[in-house]
Amino acid sequence: MTDFTIIGKPTAMVDAAGKTTGAGKYADDLSLPGMLVGRILHSPFPHARIKRIDTSRAEKLDGVVAVVTGKDAPNPYGILPVGHDEHALATDKVRYVGDNVACVAAVDESTADKALELIDVEYEVLPAYFDPEDSMKAETELIHDNKPHNLEKDYHHVFGDPEKAFAEAAHVAEARFIANEVTHAAMEPHCTLASFEIDSLTGKPGRLTVWSSTQVPYYLQHKLSLVLEMQMSQIRVIKPLVGGGFGGKSEVIPLEIIAAVAARAARAPVKITYTREEVFWAHRGRPRTIIDLKTGVDKDGHITAVKARVVQDGGAYCSYGVVTILYSGALLGALYDIPNIQYDGYRVLTNKPVCGAMRGHGTVNVRFAFESQLDELALKLKMDSAEIRRRNLLKPPCITINGLRVQSYGLPECIDKVVERSGWKNRIGKLPKGRGLGIACSHYVSGAANSIIRSDMPHSTVNIKIDRDGGVVVYTGASDIGQGSDTMVAQIAAETLGCSMARVKVVAADTDLTPIDIGSYSSRVTFMNGNATLRAAQDVKKQIATAAARKMACAPEDLVFREDKVSKNHVGAGGLPALAEQGSPSPHQQSSVSGRVEGQILRGSLQQKRKDEGPKDQLTFEEAVVAAIDFHGALSGTGSYAPPAEARGGKHKGAGVGPSPAYSYSAQVAEVSVDEETGEVTVHKVWASHDCGRALNPVSVEGQIIGSVWMGMGQALTEEMVWKDGMLMNPGLLEYRSPSSVESPEIEAIIVESVDPEGPFGAKECSEGSLAATIPAIANAVYDAVGVRLHESPFTPERVLAALRAKKNAKTLNLTEGVDPTSPVRFREHGGSLWFRGKGPERHAQDPSRRESVVKAGGDD
Amino acid sequence: MSLPQFRLLRPRTLDEAVGYLAKHTDKLRVLAGGTDLIPSMRQKLFEPEYVLDIRHVVELKGIQPRAGEGVSIGALTSLSTIEHSDFLRRHYPVLPEAAATVASPVLRNMGTLGGNICLDTRCLWYNQSLTWRKGCGFCIKKDGDLCHVAPGGSKCWAVFSGDTPPALLCLNAEVEIAGPSGLRRLPLREFYTGVGDAYRKLRPSELLTRVFLPEASVDYLGVYRKLRVRGSIDYPLAGVAVVLKRSNGHVSDARLAITAVNPAPLLVKGASEMLAGKVIDEALAEAVGDLAAKTAKPLTTSALTPEYRREMIRVFAKRAVLAANN
Repeated sequence: MTDFTIIGKPTAMVDAAGKTTGAGKYADDLSLPGMLVGRILHSPFPHARIKRIDTSRAEKLDGVVAVVTGKDAPNPYGILPVGHDEHALATDKVRYVGDNVACVAAVDESTADKALELIDVEYEVLPAYFDPEDSMKAETELIHDNKPHNLEKDYHHVFGDPEKAFAEAAHVAEARFIANEVTHAAMEPHCTLASFEIDSLTGKPGRLTVWSSTQVPYYLQHKLSLVLEMQMSQIRVIKPLVGGGFGGKSEVIPLEIIAAVAARAARAPVKITYTREEVFWAHRGRPRTIIDLKTGVDKDGHITAVKARVVQDGGAYCSYGVVTILYSGALLGALYDIPNIQYDGYRVLTNKPVCGAMRGHGTVNVRFAFESQLDELALKLKMDSAEIRRRNLLKPPCITINGLRVQSYGLPECIDKVVERSGWKNRIGKLPKGRGLGIACSHYVSGAANSIIRSDMPHSTVNIKIDRDGGVVVYTGASDIGQGSDTMVAQIAAETLGCSMARVKVVAADTDLTPIDIGSYSSRVTFMNGNATLRAAQDVKKQIATAAARKMACAPEDLVFREDKVSKNHVGAGGLPALAEQGSPSPHQQSSVSGRVEGQILRGSLQQKRKDEGPKDQLTFEEAVVAAIDFHGALSGTGSYAPPAEARGGKHKGAGVGPSPAYSYSAQVAEVSVDEETGEVTVHKVWASHDCGRALNPVSVEGQIIGSVWMGMGQALTEEMVWKDGMLMNPGLLEYRSPSSVESPEIEAIIVESVDPEGPFGAKECSEGSLAATIPAIANAVYDAVGVRLHESPFTPERVLAALRAKKNAKTLNLTEGVDPTSPVRFREHGGSLWFRGKGPERHAQDPSRRESVVKAGGDD
Repeated sequence: MSLPQFRLLRPRTLDEAVGYLAKHTDKLRVLAGGTDLIPSMRQKLFEPEYVLDIRHVVELKGIQPRAGEGVSIGALTSLSTIEHSDFLRRHYPVLPEAAATVASPVLRNMGTLGGNICLDTRCLWYNQSLTWRKGCGFCIKKDGDLCHVAPGGSKCWAVFSGDTPPALLCLNAEVEIAGPSGLRRLPLREFYTGVGDAYRKLRPSELLTRVFLPEASVDYLGVYRKLRVRGSIDYPLAGVAVVLKRSNGHVSDARLAITAVNPAPLLVKGASEMLAGKVIDEALAEAVGDLAAKTAKPLTTSALTPEYRREMIRVFAKRAVLAANN
């Protein structure tokens, strides 16, 4: 069926009005009577043992209600079952500058800030590890005692016979790529408000309600129950409006647990809102990554083998790290047909803020390396860059060498579209010097086929109830974080039930009200929650059809639900004369809900009148609903979704990560110019095609494509977390430079619809897959423009200029402090020195910051 | 991050403001636009007992051309007013061009010319929260005795990051300063000390009140070029202003100043002499660029590498000279 009334039509977000007028409430907009403000004391040391904490001076300050430390909630937790290595507040050690030590709950922020200064902590500093390759050599003073060599996890996969394939390849390229660290920089800083019901007789805290800026309310409920030793049923998590997540809110963030621990101690509601600096410390962004990549091709451009060694600098705790390092390897497959793959992945612990999941989780940095190297091989073969990609397409339906099932596959059309729209054939290699085009592809999962909690329960469940006046309420656990899942859910329910959007109300992400959905991450919501919504709506629809069919003297399967009417399938959607009097029914207007307009008495008399007329060819939606309620009693339906067994991947160690019921596909062409005197790169236009299966809401899909390209452009050109001996030099949006509107190029979003056999109405993901293609598309365009190939991102002007100078063998200028961005060896730290001849912060004798400074003094003049 | 507690003083007249300054001197910070002071107070770089909010001292606002004597610009004139002033665009074009590059439109509505001149020097080791600075062991400019960008040195190298002062230096601007003993005038080039911590010659009891641009600086061709990673919001990572006057195709007078690469904005010594009497061509512009690069002493106070920023002073100076000549 393609004749939709709601699906596929540009639809305004259901929460748009509240967001644009300011009436919508985000977590920080909420307050409760007697609410306290929580502030967190953070570690100034990258690695230290806590010998003593004395909070007594802080507790005595007027206005301070409670001070909590690690001993108030000692149970460990972590987002992955294999990674329960975090505590609400440090119990024995701090592991990065910014780690959480104590929390003050006070009557206002300024009092809480003052109290933080009155907490006395005695630390014993330990040697710290900042560079992942150095950290892997550690023998003693490990970051976590149970992780030898500070190695969180390593995986070694061999599929096929890569060595043989490399030996037989016509061309082999091999190089090191470095992608520096980036973070989500969502507009809304994290915020949590936690409130216990206090038993009026005993004064003891009872049920807990938490409002939090989260992508995963159910995981939060679960981790709170572990740490607080409460039953999950005693904890209610509510997600208010969320101002962007991008993965930064896709696991339990320290403040969410800390707020609850503080509220329990204070016996009063506590709200904590992170400062922007704290958001950077909480981080969970994309780890800086070393990719040693080797690719072989035959003389016709077919990829024969790929070998990747990936080292991720994961920071001080596990977070999603085990999943990230697996995605980096697994998603080498499922884009192109690669017969032989070797993957060695290392997730390394360092004394830095924790990396986690970020838009395009695990795939982005490897894709930058892969798509860059593929262009290098095309050059060796004198083959067009678009053509080499076409030569390596999969032939779905198929299962890749590493066990990924691919069904719908819009990549060929994606490539065709961007090649055509960008005028690729006539323009590539022919633009004036300094201007160039580049192409790259990417893909992403539509949700993980295996959930991280390794249970057989459905990944999504949705309930629907319908009231007598035809109002449809959808109860979904899907967490709208701005991506529009509430709108998607309403659209699917309305389309399936044949009713207007105005009838549908979505109640979402409230663990007391909505059935379990595992959260908004890995681009799973449209596919999985959409399917659950579809099934719930079909369940209710079937009940309505049974009752309506009795009234209409026909079989239920002969009924068509469309535009607020239930008709025998030979009757058009014109409506009965009685209805026509109410004006033409528009699916988007509240006025079409006849009961409310005409009033109860009139409606009753209309129904009576119709009853007298005998069986109808058509009922209004409302009449059909009334008939169903009269017939069945309550009218509610439920639907759930679990990925099919065939989509769950192979049997090798780590095979659980990578498989998805469906993959999205993207191709992009970027047009850039490079200023050869300054190294500045300007992106003029990006043509971005994305196979989302079916665009349920085209404006929303376009928005997601544009957002992905823009975020990818940030990582490609300007965004970089800058480190110096464990200090984050740019923990704010002034110095961490996301592109502004000035740098935003024209982005032509091109929707490709491959109609997936299992997606809801054929839909797949559209929010993440496009990001990864942007970085290599820009890198390849820079090469076309000026003939330099950067192997280190971001392509800041200093790096581009250094590459240009190196190419010209111009006079040596140490523009990038000794790191050649065309063949980087290791991560570069910020210049200067933390420590000089006994002066500086207290650091262990073996701390890297204590190596004697070689930085020349500025020369006092 | 909460603001430290302070008492807010809101004078309506200059006399009242100067009175408060005399009374509270170093227990006080002046708030004009607040775009620099407020974030710094949140970071506990300043914890003054009093904040003197001079935004309602109307006599310090506005652009007043003075027949035959140039123009007087009140210190509280917003950067967006400077940017959009027809008078300045016509007669002192380098200044509105520089003003238009400051931060973003919203910040230019708040930020003032006086504030941009008095802008605190900046450093990645200094413009950080109290907690962060504890982590780095503090620095010479605030609470410490070590310079992290020039270890071993005893001087603070925090970098002056205003956009308008290099333009004002090229225009031979003077500043008027009000204090307990009345008004004094000072060429802007003498206003800065060249060190990062005590970076300006303004006593705690004094207030910068007006900027004078001389009649002699009218109608110079002028250009400001700014190195920034983003086209908006960013402070300069290097900046070059140039003004020049031609007669018969030859440069009759020229000045060039740089910013964001030293603890003070600086007129490049020798640039005027190098340009005077010449016809500008690529080679001459490059020579001026080399000279400007020698004046620059960028360190790791800022994003991008020092060597790159010095190189950009060279490129931008060359380009600014060529652009001003066109």
